[in-house]
Amino acid sequence: MPNRNVRAEMGGTVIEIVCHAGAAVNEGDILLILEAMKIEMSVTSPVAGRVREMPVAADDVVEEDQLLAVIEY
Amino acid sequence: MTSDDPKSAPESRTQSGPSLAEKTHEVEAVKASLLDPAREEALARQRQRGKKTARERVACLVDKFDEYGALVTTASGTPSDAPTDGVITGVGTIDGRGVAVVAQDFSVFGGSIGHIGGQKILRMVKHCLQSGIPLILLLDGGGHRIQDGQDSWHYASGGSLMHDMVRLSGWVPVVTAILGDGFAAGTNFAGLSDFVIMVRGLSTMGLAGPSLVKAATGEEVTKEDLGGAAAQVDRHGLAHAGVQTEDEALELIRRYLSYLPSNARAAPARGPCTDPPDRRCESFATLVPADSRKPYDVRRVIHDLADAQSILEIQPTFAANAVTAFARMNGRSVGFVANQPLNLGGILNSAACEKIAHFVALCDAYGLPLIYLIDVPGFYIGSAAEKTMLGRRSAKMLHELGQATVPRISLVLRKGYGLGYFAMAGGRGFEADVSLAWPTAEICAMSIEGSVDVAYRKDYQAAQDPTMRRQELIDGIRDRITPLRAAGGFGVDDVIDPADTRRYLNDALARAPARRANSMPPKWRSIPPI
Repeated sequence: MPNRNVRAEMGGTVIEIVCHAGAAVNEGDILLILEAMKIEMSVTSPVAGRVREMPVAADDVVEEDQLLAVIEY
Repeated sequence: MTSDDPKSAPESRTQSGPSLAEKTHEVEAVKASLLDPAREEALARQRQRGKKTARERVACLVDKFDEYGALVTTASGTPSDAPTDGVITGVGTIDGRGVAVVAQDFSVFGGSIGHIGGQKILRMVKHCLQSGIPLILLLDGGGHRIQDGQDSWHYASGGSLMHDMVRLSGWVPVVTAILGDGFAAGTNFAGLSDFVIMVRGLSTMGLAGPSLVKAATGEEVTKEDLGGAAAQVDRHGLAHAGVQTEDEALELIRRYLSYLPSNARAAPARGPCTDPPDRRCESFATLVPADSRKPYDVRRVIHDLADAQSILEIQPTFAANAVTAFARMNGRSVGFVANQPLNLGGILNSAACEKIAHFVALCDAYGLPLIYLIDVPGFYIGSAAEKTMLGRRSAKMLHELGQATVPRISLVLRKGYGLGYFAMAGGRGFEADVSLAWPTAEICAMSIEGSVDVAYRKDYQAAQDPTMRRQELIDGIRDRITPLRAAGGFGVDDVIDPADTRRYLNDALARAPARRANSMPPKWRSIPPI
C-alpha cells in the first residue's frame, strides 16, 4: 500500500497527539497539534487511510520538515 | 455592359492579368488554408492529447478577433510550410475592451519561436505599449526554434522583446496561460507577466525541460516533477493559479482582467452593486475565538465584507498563511491582504512576504485600494527562517507598501505584533486612510509570553513562585495592550463593532482620493531589498 509522509511546516512543540499509530483517518482529520509562536496549528491528514507510524510524542520539539506521521492509504 | 456599372467591373479586363476578384480570391484561399478545418492532419496530435488548438483558444477567449501576421512566411517558404510561423497574434475584445493576444501553435515546429514569429510577438508587445491594452500570452510549446536560433547572424542582435516587456510592466496587465509545455522562453515570458495560469496535469514550465536538464547536469527528473502545477503553482509560487481545464484557464483570464483597468491611466473597472454597502456582518460577533491561540478562517471575514460573489483569491495554494484577493466593495475593485491564522498561525514567512509584496505592487499599479486585515503574531524566526533571507523579504513587503499611492485601510482583527503590524499597514506606519481595530485587537511589539521570557526571566525566576510571577507579568502586559489603550494613544482612529466593518470600509473608500502624493526625495529610483 502506498504511504504519504506528513511533515512539519514549521518548527514547534507537539502539544497533543490526537490520532495515534494504527488509527483510521479521513482526509482532513486532525492528527496532532503543534504549537509555535503561541499559536496552535492543527496538522491534518492529506488522505483517507490509516496512521502507520507517528514518530513524535507530546512535548517533543520538532524542526521544519521533520516527519510527523506516515499515512498508509 | 456599361463602364459605370460596378457590378460589371469583375468581368472586364482593362489590362492583362487577374481581376480584383481573382486576386482577392487567391488571398482568401491562402487564408483559408491556415484555418483549422484545412489543417486536420497537422492538428491531429493536438486533438489526440485532448488539447484545444491555438485558434480554438483564441476564439474562446476573445470576441471580434483581428489577426495580424497570419500570412507571414519564412524567407524562402510559403505560408503553408509554417502557417503563421507557429504563432497567432492579433487584437480582440473581452467584455468590450481591447486586448492583444499571442497564441503559440504547437502544431507548427512544436510551437517554437522562429525569426518572423518572434517579430510578430514583438509587434504585439509594442502595440500594447502604444495603445495601452492588456497583453495575453497563450503559450504551448518550445522556446527559440533551434533551427533558427543557432545562428549568431540573428541571435547576436537579440531584439528588444525582453526590454519592451519590462516597459509594459505596470502599464498594462500582462497575463500568461501555459497550456502545454512552457519551458525556456515560455517561462521567461511568464517571469515578466503579472498573472500566470497553469492547467494541472497539462502544463509544465521551468527554465529548461528534462532532456536539457539531464544533458547539462545529469539530473533525471520527470517533466511533471520538475515543472508541473504542483511544483510551480503550489510549492514555488512561480505561477499564480492552477486550474483543471483549458476552458477554466481562459475563463480565469477574463475574470482576472475584469478587476483591472485596461492600462494604468484608464478609468478603473467599476461594476454595479446590488449588495448594500452598509450591510451589517453579524457573523463576526462569534468569529474570532476568545482564546488567542485558537485559529479561525480569515477568508470568512473577507467573504462577508466584500460584495457578494466578488472575490478572486490570488495564489490560494502558495503561502496559504497569507490571503491576497481581488474583491469588489460597492462595485469598486479592491485588494484584500490578510493574515490567515489557520495556516502556520498566520505568521509571515518568506513565501508570504513575496506573495504579498507582488500583490501590493500590482494593486498599486492599477489603482486598487488595499484593505489590510491584521492578525499577525510576527515574522517567522529561527534557522529555517534565516535560510530564506527573511530579513530582506520582510523588507520587500515594506518597500512595496512604501512605494504605493493607492488608498490603504488597516483593520486589526486580533494580533498586531512587531514589524508584522507595520508591514500590514497598521497604525500610522504608512499613513492609512483610516486605521481601525476590533475589540479583540492586541497591538504591541512582540508576543507577550516571548517578551516576558526575554526581558523578565531573572525577575520571575527569583520569585517565590516563579510560575505565578510569570503569569502576573503576562497579565500585566495584557492589560496594557487593549484596543482602548491603542485608541488612547491615537494609534488607531476608532475601535469598531465588527458588524459595522463593511459600512466603515465603504465610507472610507468613498472618501479616499484615487491616488495620494507620496513625497520622495529627488532620487532616480528606489532599490528593492531583493
